[in-house]
Amino acid sequence: MNVTSTPTVGGSVRSLPRPRRRRTDRAHRGITAAIFLSPTLLVIGLFTVVPMIMTIVISFHRWSMFTPITDMDFVGFDNYARLLNDSARVQAIANTGVYVLLSVLITVPLAFLIAMLLYFPRLRGRNVVRVILFATYVIPTIAIVIIWSNIYAPGYGPLSAMVQAIGLTPPGWLSDPQWALLSLVIFNVWQMLGYYVILLVAGLTQIPEELYEAAKVDGAGIVRQTWSITLPMLSGSLVFVVLMTIINSIQVFDPIYLLTQGGPAGSTNVVSFEIQRSAFQYGQAGDASALAVSLFMLIVLVGVVLNAILKVRKR
Amino acid sequence: MSRSRIRPRTLAQRTLLYVLLIIVAAVPLFPLYWLVISAFKTPAEFVSIPPTWFPTSPTLDQVESALTDVPFAQSMLNSVIIAGGATISVLVTSILAGYVFAKYHFRGKNLMFWSIVATMFLPPIVTLVPLYYLISSMGLSDSYIGVLLPWLANAFGIFLMRQFIMDVPDELIEAARMDGASEFRIVWQFVVPLIKPAVVTLAVFMFVFSWNNFLWPLTILRTEAMYPVVLTLNRLMSYTMSFDYQNVVIAGALIASLPTLIVFLISQRVFVQGIASSGVKG
Repeated sequence: MNVTSTPTVGGSVRSLPRPRRRRTDRAHRGITAAIFLSPTLLVIGLFTVVPMIMTIVISFHRWSMFTPITDMDFVGFDNYARLLNDSARVQAIANTGVYVLLSVLITVPLAFLIAMLLYFPRLRGRNVVRVILFATYVIPTIAIVIIWSNIYAPGYGPLSAMVQAIGLTPPGWLSDPQWALLSLVIFNVWQMLGYYVILLVAGLTQIPEELYEAAKVDGAGIVRQTWSITLPMLSGSLVFVVLMTIINSIQVFDPIYLLTQGGPAGSTNVVSFEIQRSAFQYGQAGDASALAVSLFMLIVLVGVVLNAILKVRKR
Repeated sequence: MSRSRIRPRTLAQRTLLYVLLIIVAAVPLFPLYWLVISAFKTPAEFVSIPPTWFPTSPTLDQVESALTDVPFAQSMLNSVIIAGGATISVLVTSILAGYVFAKYHFRGKNLMFWSIVATMFLPPIVTLVPLYYLISSMGLSDSYIGVLLPWLANAFGIFLMRQFIMDVPDELIEAARMDGASEFRIVWQFVVPLIKPAVVTLAVFMFVFSWNNFLWPLTILRTEAMYPVVLTLNRLMSYTMSFDYQNVVIAGALIASLPTLIVFLISQRVFVQGIASSGVKG
């Protein structure tokens, strides 16, 4: 590229047999590209795209997973209609909505404040704290479930002991329908927070120092600086963190399956658990797929809305 | 030095900030501390009310029990095979695809790339039923290959590699081509060494992700001898709900968490930076 564009030797280079060699190179590179891409396209095509299409197709059929797929019957929108009339599934959707909303409302402001604390005041030990915060993210969810089910345990659990120590009556964290979903949200926030803090600290490092210098000259205090500089400049990272929080919490499965099985009284039943239960315990693949497609549509909707917010913000 | 503007001036402010920092560190640390001490408590001490904050007579009985009551060593090995296999495969496929998307030009490239990236936001639960059907009808349910097959390539890896390979200078690749290096050699000898931090980040990320993946092995595996450690832990958990067995389960959780924790701690400097820049670039 450099050689051909050098003006002094341009003519002579063009007269050399190089162009022909380049063309065969290009053909050769086309083959290389195909070879380099084929494993990826094969895996993603066969195990993501094809199943996605199949999910949509199955959602319009009645199919018991215990019979061959060729036995499935076309039922149109029946599965979707049934979904809306099934109180357990409607509750699963509502619970998922509450779970996602609470996760976002707690995680994003908390992650933002911690990111500010870790970035601005140059405190000693901040890098160690960053590593500690992230450590919870790499531990298997099932191990965290085991820790927290014991921390939440009535009587010998340390959380109840702490709550009692300050003179309050501890709630039945996972056994009380009023508290169970919130307890699972706390668990989720605890596990994921470090990841979002890291993303936001990275976003903070991208804000030019001069903006703060100028604001300081104008006499702006820390609150004003945060409101007028940090938040608008960080909006891209914040939207990304909101998106990741939603995507991660909308598919919550492991803690529900392991800890509550959707109980008590259906208060922690969520969409992914309902999909898994419908399909693999009751064999209702059509109903499960209708629910899966609905979940997918919700995620697309979230993506579209967040994208629109980002565009408006940029204007 | 330019950041000195926010450096707290008074002792009171400094103290407050450090107290906050300690709280921010203590909240994630406490449950981990509690995991470790509980694994070494006797069953009687474990369920004592109020709880003790340090084991009074530490014992290794629970760890031993967790290791022998279920085939724990075998399932750790299974996890290494599954997580290791997925990691190596994702590294290879992502570097090759990332290189093509970063440095080649062809019609439909961007559409293809962003379509792949879009699959990043598709939760595995959405495609679980047909995926189970596909793998089963290939006769691969209950096999290591069946566990691995859907995870041999993924969008996040391709996205990450493409972002970093885009920063590799074209001149370098062009010069290597002039020297007659094959495209394959260019990738391994010139590109990969330049994006080492990103490669390490992806490797650690994939290892942790595959080690912790629960839903897919739960769906596709029946034979306990093939269970990864997360499924064995699940079995240990449902073994008995009796209180005096609870801290055997905890000892199991501690052992199962060690490999990912160790991998993370060894690589944390590069890994945390890599995850951070994945967000900035994204």
